[in-house]
Amino acid sequence: MKALLFLIRRNLLNGIKSAFKKPLVLIGYIFILLFIIAFIVASFAMPSGEIRTLPPALFRGIMMLVFTVLYYTSLKLGIEKGSSYFRMSDVNMAFTAPLRPNQILLYGFIKQLGGTLFFILLAFFQIPNLKNNFAFEPHGVIVLLLAVVAYTMAYPLIGMLIYSWTSVSKERKRLAKRIFDRAALAVVLIFLIDLSQTRDFVKSMSHVFDHPVAHYFPIIGWTGSIASAAVAEPDTAFLVGAAGMAVVIFGLSLLIYRMKLDYYEDVLEATEYVEAALKAKREGRNMTFGQKTRKNIRGGLSGKGARALFAKNMMEIRKTSMFLFLDRMSVMVILSSILFKLIMPSEAGLNAFSMFMVLAFSLYMLLLMQAQGRWSVEVEKPYIFLIPASSFEKLFYASLSEHVKNLFDGALLFTLSGIFFGSQVPTVLACILSYVFFGAVFLYAEVLTRRMFGRVHSKGLMIFIKMIFSFLLVVPGIIGSVIAVIATDSEFYMIGAMGAWAFVLAVTLFMFSAGIFNNIESSS
Amino acid sequence: MLKVRNLSKVFDKVQAVDDVSFEVNPGEIAVLLGPNGAGKSTTIKSIAGLLRFKGQILINNTDNKSVEAKRAFGYIPETPALYENLTVWEHLEFIARAYSLRDWEETANRLLTRFEMDDKKDKLGKELSKGMQQKVSICCALLIQPKMIMFDEPMIGLDPKAIKELKSVFLELKQAGCAVLISTHIIDSIEEVWDKVLIMNKGRIVLNLTRDELDNKGESLEKIFLEVTDSKGEGEA
Repeated sequence: MKALLFLIRRNLLNGIKSAFKKPLVLIGYIFILLFIIAFIVASFAMPSGEIRTLPPALFRGIMMLVFTVLYYTSLKLGIEKGSSYFRMSDVNMAFTAPLRPNQILLYGFIKQLGGTLFFILLAFFQIPNLKNNFAFEPHGVIVLLLAVVAYTMAYPLIGMLIYSWTSVSKERKRLAKRIFDRAALAVVLIFLIDLSQTRDFVKSMSHVFDHPVAHYFPIIGWTGSIASAAVAEPDTAFLVGAAGMAVVIFGLSLLIYRMKLDYYEDVLEATEYVEAALKAKREGRNMTFGQKTRKNIRGGLSGKGARALFAKNMMEIRKTSMFLFLDRMSVMVILSSILFKLIMPSEAGLNAFSMFMVLAFSLYMLLLMQAQGRWSVEVEKPYIFLIPASSFEKLFYASLSEHVKNLFDGALLFTLSGIFFGSQVPTVLACILSYVFFGAVFLYAEVLTRRMFGRVHSKGLMIFIKMIFSFLLVVPGIIGSVIAVIATDSEFYMIGAMGAWAFVLAVTLFMFSAGIFNNIESSS
Repeated sequence: MLKVRNLSKVFDKVQAVDDVSFEVNPGEIAVLLGPNGAGKSTTIKSIAGLLRFKGQILINNTDNKSVEAKRAFGYIPETPALYENLTVWEHLEFIARAYSLRDWEETANRLLTRFEMDDKKDKLGKELSKGMQQKVSICCALLIQPKMIMFDEPMIGLDPKAIKELKSVFLELKQAGCAVLISTHIIDSIEEVWDKVLIMNKGRIVLNLTRDELDNKGESLEKIFLEVTDSKGEGEA
């Protein structure tokens, strides 16, 4: 075990040391650290329920829903690919060394605890928002984090156990998948039946997910019950949940540690998958990674010079989309934006700005999802630098497909929302155009970030810099839209002002970032 | 030293390795030759204890997955994968700790000098080129002074000097009584060093030949390889 602890220690220390070698990266990390500290302080210190106090039942419902989705997606992926705490370096060097598999598993588990930190940080970012809307108890933040820790520790253990059972035969794998899918379908059906009776999304969510059966449902319910105590005194459900999760985590750890383990093969496949996913992330293909490519897309390429890039990108999008340009990202942006509006309580003052709220949330999602556009894939390959065209043309055509896709997604989202909320056509059009222009702002802000900071090893840091950069740039637009709404009291002008600013910003950012395809050095 | 008996491995109903048996004795260099997809890497990974399989694999007369067996063998994978945040020297230190080696520093220094990595001691894994990573991988496996060693496509990514050095390492290991198993599909790369050739095709060993037996046949290894792995010829036979 000493050798494995040496690995963990050196990895951590060298990681910190290498940050000090790059001043710019170090500044980035310090900035992130300050930002996180500010969020943590704010999470604990800020008053709760200041803006509004939504019913605790809704909070409990949201928590149950979140953990149901988290467990379902992570465990289902576990059946498919296993869950791996390991990298190929572990497989090649630690697995073949004279160390007991149980010790290596423990080492993997300790590494996973590092990953837990990431989830805790993500949770911190949501706390101020939750505190604004719900009346948190003094212990609220702590129990919420406790639930996140319980989840991040439990799911790899459960995942590994499920995988070791299902990896034996395809029949078992099929059976496990069927059980998972049918259970998920049952939950959706129960929800839809309730929705048809109440015709109120929020009420149905409380009915289904804030039900005693849900509170005591093993693992998912237990985790949700721990989180639910954030807005109430700890009750029986909390105690059962906390005790249940402790037993699950310790029991499974002990079971796996004591078992005569032969899991290397399972981990090998899962680790290869993890390595491929990390490689895709480094190359900016994380959103399309694992997507099936449709081979029946025909039609050839058109355009000459830099235009050929546009034609190629469009063909790639069509090959990886479900229908026309509709892909996983579109579905996530559209569904989450509509869901957001449905969950938000209807208050008299806000109803007039439904479209604006959907636009704001969809832009937030777009900023998160469009973490790396197709252009970043081009930077990793030599072709774009060799094409005999100006850097302006190359960047324009390499990014045009993103704008077309955003136009498609925006048209779909805002036409649906427009019908849903009974909005005027000009407002819908303003939303669509704003969505496209903001998409361009985020994209060219990313290109410019790359030009300014070069290749940053940590993609997380890169995305963080881009997000802060984009946010600062958008601030004048927000101010403009506030002025517009005060002056006119019209949602159309409010959105129009934001859209117009985004257009100016997109063009400016494009002008500054175009040089990226001059040569490889200007992008590295 | 290495005994493989009736090794079979199935992946999703595909028979990757089918009833393979062979032995590699101390001081012998055996080469696992075969076209792409023949089952060489699966065989090597099974011996390294990374896969479940049917059959029996003994290293130094103990089960290949036992701690005792692992202490005896070294493994150089097809694609080197180092710890991104560990320096070259720390990789060697980790191996020394994991294998409970004593007085390993001098051997480590000698290996690094031999593979021209002595000036890269403090470089992190993520800062090395693929070829350099392969060299570190080789140094780590040699550091334990194994009784049996497996190389999976070891020449890929190495510069000519390192290839020459590696070939002399093969011969030194042989002289020291180590059993060496090399998997490759590039015949030229092992032409001068092998004692026994195991040609694999479609998961089976289709030929098990010593150098003397080949000399008696008077044919080149390449010609024999092409004959036994030619699927058309196999069908006709």
